[in-house]
Amino acid sequence: MRIVVCVKEVLDPNAVNNLALAGKLRIGSDGRTLEVAAVPRLINAYDEQGMEIALRIRDAGNTCRIVAVSIGQDSQAILRHCAALGADEIVAIDPAGLELDCEAVAKVLAAYIKSSGGADLVLCGRQASDDDQGVVPVLLAEKLGIPAVLFARAAEVSGRTLSVTCVTADGDEVAQGALPALVTVSNEVGVPRFPTAKSKMAARKMAPVAVSLSGLGLSAADLAPSVELVRQQLPVVNGNCEFLKGPAAETARQLIDRLRADGVV
Amino acid sequence: MSVVVCSWGNVAERGIEEVLTAARAYSVAAGLPLHWAVAGMDRDAARALASRYGVAAVDAITHPKLQGFAPDALVEAFTQYCAKAQPALVLFNQTAASRLVAPRLASRLGAAVVTNVFALQHEAGVLQASATAYGGDTQVVYRMPSRINVVCLVPTTLAAEPAPSASEPACNQVDVDLGAIEERFKVSSAPKPEGPRLEDAEIIVSGGRGLGKADNLALVRDLASALGGMWGGSRPIVDEGWIDSSRQVGLTGKVTRPRLYVAVGISGASQHMAGCSAAKTIVAINKDPDAAIFRYASYGIVGDCLEVMPELIKAARGG
Repeated sequence: MRIVVCVKEVLDPNAVNNLALAGKLRIGSDGRTLEVAAVPRLINAYDEQGMEIALRIRDAGNTCRIVAVSIGQDSQAILRHCAALGADEIVAIDPAGLELDCEAVAKVLAAYIKSSGGADLVLCGRQASDDDQGVVPVLLAEKLGIPAVLFARAAEVSGRTLSVTCVTADGDEVAQGALPALVTVSNEVGVPRFPTAKSKMAARKMAPVAVSLSGLGLSAADLAPSVELVRQQLPVVNGNCEFLKGPAAETARQLIDRLRADGVV
Repeated sequence: MSVVVCSWGNVAERGIEEVLTAARAYSVAAGLPLHWAVAGMDRDAARALASRYGVAAVDAITHPKLQGFAPDALVEAFTQYCAKAQPALVLFNQTAASRLVAPRLASRLGAAVVTNVFALQHEAGVLQASATAYGGDTQVVYRMPSRINVVCLVPTTLAAEPAPSASEPACNQVDVDLGAIEERFKVSSAPKPEGPRLEDAEIIVSGGRGLGKADNLALVRDLASALGGMWGGSRPIVDEGWIDSSRQVGLTGKVTRPRLYVAVGISGASQHMAGCSAAKTIVAINKDPDAAIFRYASYGIVGDCLEVMPELIKAARGG
């Protein structure tokens, strides 16, 4: 079976969060993007967990060819990481400097998958940790005409049947259907494996297959955005905290008294 | 042209009143009637709620295949509905289920779609949607000039405000043809909800990495029980394996809106706050006086949570 894993390069969300916690996160002069000179870029963690699910399906004894695909000017590092983890093929799609919205990204990925022999299973992270939108996988499934199952923590393939364990508000749910299908992967998958030093060395020699938008038959007009990011801002938090001071027993009593007076407890 | 809210399942679904409130405000700004399309729902209950929130019409879509959560049938039903109704804006109450249905519907309609939205503006005739990004560390404003847009609203930070005067909503029966629809994925094992849900709790005590080690969670549990509430935790301690993800409060976990939220040893990362910032009162206990959590808290105690919690348990139990 052919498994296509879609991976995106994002700003390290922990680094962004640390800047935010320290009050050092800034919006650039364009008013739309973050000032991120010091923030490393890496593979979207949910997408890496998508790779992990693909590898677990292979570990379970299924013969499969795993293809990792990314859209970006410079996605070599994250694609090589996927190769080191065990991807058989890595594919870099050049967006030709276009700013793609989710719909356009889904169009590009669908065009690539259709033109490259299709996929029995498409795996994506549940969302990218930068825009958090989570709509590309669903749009992609629609364009491929296949069902989408969201928020998986595990997936099993048996013949042409796919069984997915999904995280829901009420606990785990297992859904079954036929391949081909698209599955989005949630962080409950757990910590993904690390590549070995040997596989990292081997991955260094692996060159991504370069794909252009024109090669996919897509023009800038086909990919014109219908959603435009016009502004980015930092949330305003109303800091109005009353600090209770004193020995532990004293502050504890004060707090409970306050909460009772407020009618909270 | 209209603004339409699409729902299914339980009429009294959490967040629906907040979504109807935001939908009404936008429909007034855009000068469009507000419709509520309800699939497989109790139409009388929906009509009563619709009246309070100033909805112009309830469009009831009924079909045997719309019982429970049936995504293929729902997407097809809403697609047929929208093809006739030609709404300018289609709104969903954001849940795990609507995160599947909304983009699929958008794709069928050739509409633009945005999720994680907490505010809608009508700017010079064009929809602008404000959404969270980077786990809540930033907020982005999307301009959506399409003829038709689909938006998932996160009700956590929205307030429910009934309309100044109740409406007399029309009740329209909508017929759909779902003959060809067969669900492609079927649920073979449904979750068994175990007791009360964290999402519904009035009082929550949550622990974070500041507890030091998993054993100290016992204090969090005891404090929750002393306050008559439930307990949860932050994502780092889920990733550490201290607690199961069903207890995780945050963007990718449970989104709660309790009366009281006590955060113990939690730094206050945006990812976490997305799951608790709607709490009426937040209490923070943290040894770092600069922790972000104090920016959200009404009451703060700077100190060692392992010393403070036993005293809090005593004080809560006494008197």
